Amino acid sequence: SQLAASGDSDSIKVFVRVRPLTQGTGLTTDGDQSLCLTVTSPNTIRLLSKPEPRTFTYDHVADMDTSQDSVFSSVAKNIVESCMNGYNGTIFAYGQTGSGKTFTMLGPSELDNFTDELRGVIPRSFEYLFFLINREVERSAQSKSFLCKCSFIEIYNEQIYDLLDTASASLFLRENIKKGVFVEGAVEKFVNSAAGAYQVLSMGWRNRRVASTSMNRESSRSHAVFTMTLESKESINDVVNIRMSQLNLVDLAGSERQKDTHTEGSRLKEASSINRSLMCLGQVIMALVDVSNGKNRHICYRDSKLTFLLRDSLGGNAKTYIIANVHPGSKCFGETLSTLQFAQRAKLIKNKAVINEDTQGNVR
Amino acid sequence: MASLGSDEWRAVCDKFSNAQNLTDVESRKDPENEPFRSKYKARELLREIYSSLKCFAAGDGEEERDGGEEDVFGQGVSGDSPAGLRAAKLGAVEYYLGVNHVDTEELSAGREHLMNGTKLLERCRVSSDNVSLFIHVRNQLGILWAGLDETETAQGFLETAESIYQRYMKEDGTPPTDMTEYFTTEEKLLTHQERTKRFELAYTHTMYYLAQVYKNLGQNERAATYCHSTLQRQLKLNQFSPMEWALNAATLSQYYITKGHYMEGRHCLSAATVISGLAGEVPSEAAAQESETESERREQLRQKRADIARCWIKYCLNLLQDAKKLLEDNIGELDTDRQEELKGARRREEEEEEKGRKNALLFGSEDTFDSIASLEEKVSCLIPLDFTAARAVFLVGQNYVTQAKDYFQMDGFVTDHIEILQDHSALFRALAFFEEDLERRCKMHKRRVDMLEPICNDLNTQYYLMIRRQLMFELAESYSEMMDLKLTLANRQADTQSLDSHTIKKFNHLCSASTKFFQMFLDSLCSPEGKFPEHLEEEVLRPALVARFRVARLHNRLISSTPSDQLDNLNKSLESYKYVVQYCEAHPEAAVVVETELELSKEMVGLLPLKINRLKARMATNN
Repeated sequence: SQLAASGDSDSIKVFVRVRPLTQGTGLTTDGDQSLCLTVTSPNTIRLLSKPEPRTFTYDHVADMDTSQDSVFSSVAKNIVESCMNGYNGTIFAYGQTGSGKTFTMLGPSELDNFTDELRGVIPRSFEYLFFLINREVERSAQSKSFLCKCSFIEIYNEQIYDLLDTASASLFLRENIKKGVFVEGAVEKFVNSAAGAYQVLSMGWRNRRVASTSMNRESSRSHAVFTMTLESKESINDVVNIRMSQLNLVDLAGSERQKDTHTEGSRLKEASSINRSLMCLGQVIMALVDVSNGKNRHICYRDSKLTFLLRDSLGGNAKTYIIANVHPGSKCFGETLSTLQFAQRAKLIKNKAVINEDTQGNVR
Repeated sequence: MASLGSDEWRAVCDKFSNAQNLTDVESRKDPENEPFRSKYKARELLREIYSSLKCFAAGDGEEERDGGEEDVFGQGVSGDSPAGLRAAKLGAVEYYLGVNHVDTEELSAGREHLMNGTKLLERCRVSSDNVSLFIHVRNQLGILWAGLDETETAQGFLETAESIYQRYMKEDGTPPTDMTEYFTTEEKLLTHQERTKRFELAYTHTMYYLAQVYKNLGQNERAATYCHSTLQRQLKLNQFSPMEWALNAATLSQYYITKGHYMEGRHCLSAATVISGLAGEVPSEAAAQESETESERREQLRQKRADIARCWIKYCLNLLQDAKKLLEDNIGELDTDRQEELKGARRREEEEEEKGRKNALLFGSEDTFDSIASLEEKVSCLIPLDFTAARAVFLVGQNYVTQAKDYFQMDGFVTDHIEILQDHSALFRALAFFEEDLERRCKMHKRRVDMLEPICNDLNTQYYLMIRRQLMFELAESYSEMMDLKLTLANRQADTQSLDSHTIKKFNHLCSASTKFFQMFLDSLCSPEGKFPEHLEEEVLRPALVARFRVARLHNRLISSTPSDQLDNLNKSLESYKYVVQYCEAHPEAAVVVETELELSKEMVGLLPLKINRLKARMATNN
């Protein structure tokens, strides 16, 4: 709680994890024994690029032998604690397909077995959260109570689907003056234990896979957002104090699929000859306008659904960790480079300026 | 050259159309695990075509020549000679092979084919038979090199394409052969109209790629010009979807207004509004309830039109704010000398130019041009220099506020709705600057308070922290402005000592309200435990210190009825001034950000204790 209260200025932290080389998994990277990177210190990684190797610095870099428990301790522990104190917290997993995102977040496969040493960040977070809840309830001699709700949605092609209710059509993002941004009509399940939360998660996760076969959607092409809303109620001398916070666990689409402007660098957008319109001209213009700060402007292009939903997690009063998973094999060089670059840029994401320039209060 | 028999030629043509079909149509149905199946098939066909062509050409004993960079309009084989045509055909196959390899992610092979294409063409002069190919190949090379981060190389190819187009249009200009026509039988040749259309489209793409290249090179102004040209050409060639075009034009207007080019900005916005009208009527609510497609269409059209309205709001707002900046003196009031001077200059300009349009790029086809022009007339693009002109801009802005709010309603679009209200408030603020009647000016600020205060109180603190902070600051300033105006008005009638109790009450109320919102802002920086941060984050540093400073001043200005109240207020004031000074001592980086405020705070920290002691002494003697 000390950490949460201190004004630590980096609202976004980045953790890079290098997975071990694959063996017999059927991936194309199997049997590739040459490495394209080395971990040079607990927060630097050297990519063996040509002509010069490049060094990247992050909040934490975990080498192949890092245990699941130590990932949890560095990434999720503080975030879960912050949630108990009323902060919103978000953990993103990012990386190319096969780089170990699911392993890091869930564990080796969808285990229902809670004691497994290899269980991932998510089950451990649930355990820790409910451990803290129970401790608080006990300590407060029942004057404090907690309410936990979970929802699980998937964003595919800028459409939102409810993983807890596969029968529903695509949903809309709305905003409410009291509730903030929310997915209209998304199912919310009450849970009162880590096991309960995990059950909701695995149910949704299964739906995600079902959806990928029946509708020809690949899971790695969608973003999945599991949200746990925590409400605490404390009564002291008839005064009821209510606090709300959210814990978002986000599995981003495989980075090799992401074709948004933020990851593409200097590639030109093409206009195929059959295409009547030059779809992306707007993005080019948008970039021109964005550079010229200070003046009042409106950009007609909406945020992506994911950034809009998690707007509160990108700066402001939220704690955010990005876990960037990379594969060390030299065949993955290109993807690894782009993941590392993305992770570095992520540090620069901040919510827009707090106060408009012209109301900064000049002396009169 | 042993010429191809008509049957053989027909076979080549069939192969070609087959390859085209595989590339454009079939490939979209390829399964996920074999995404390039059709493209590989197309590649085989293209290779076969290539060897047939080569085989027949070989009989001709053609000479290999080292082609240096030559003027493509100067020497070399004439483009429409048999040899030139042969080179063009081979070049075209190389082009299609190149694109095919690029599509299947074999970039270096693709590059080789495309470079072969340019080599073949180097020997030829530009003619109507090969100019289209000249441009297509260079467009592709531009894309390719940009993908390899070799932006300058890309730029070179695209700029060559641009100059070839321009020179061809100047010197020849007949509708050129499309590359597909190299491999069609006589009866399938294109019409002149179709040829022109395809050629112009290829060049539009050159413009579009150049826009991106210039953006990547950081040449924003140039990039904007090319975006503008691209839009203009889309319109002229009737190659656009209205809503998308309109949004692009509206976005471009935002580039212009941030640069202070209001005439261009207004033109883009007028065109955006007119062209968005071509997208058709918004389906009624009833229709939307009937079908999902109609409901989606309704949503899309309404949202995009509301977005364009918001771009208009920004236009009006920036125009007013620029006017204010131009005309204000060092205490933020209207500088009448400057006003007269600018008005004089304006008159002279108008006489000289006779309102003639500068040679700006204009949008519009024959059908839309007049509508765009008449929409432009509804709002000035000149910076308003007096209240009447400012009010006209304000009213246009306010009208767009209403339009935008109609879609972006509070329930469902909290952030957007509030942003529009903030703009509305800012419009009032800018207009108030021009208002000479202080009572009416005060009422304008009251309108700002009325529209923002209830929302600021209702908004969820946690989810809308950033917006609330902005609102708090704006409210604090609005109240403060009202307070100043009330005092000026009262002082015109009497000096401060003899203010009537009603005025004092009013003044104190405004003063406290302003303090309250500054304090609310400061409280929003506290941790959930209520602790004020020891170190202020960069983005809140200036606002936090300014708020503290303003709170200090406000406490000092409160008119107290009893000495003990006054003492209390002075102590509070001193405390806040001290905070600013001490914070800057502990964090030297902060001193630069609040230079003026810090200087004044230091002065007050020196002076206030004297005032406090005097007051204390007076209280002691009176008791």
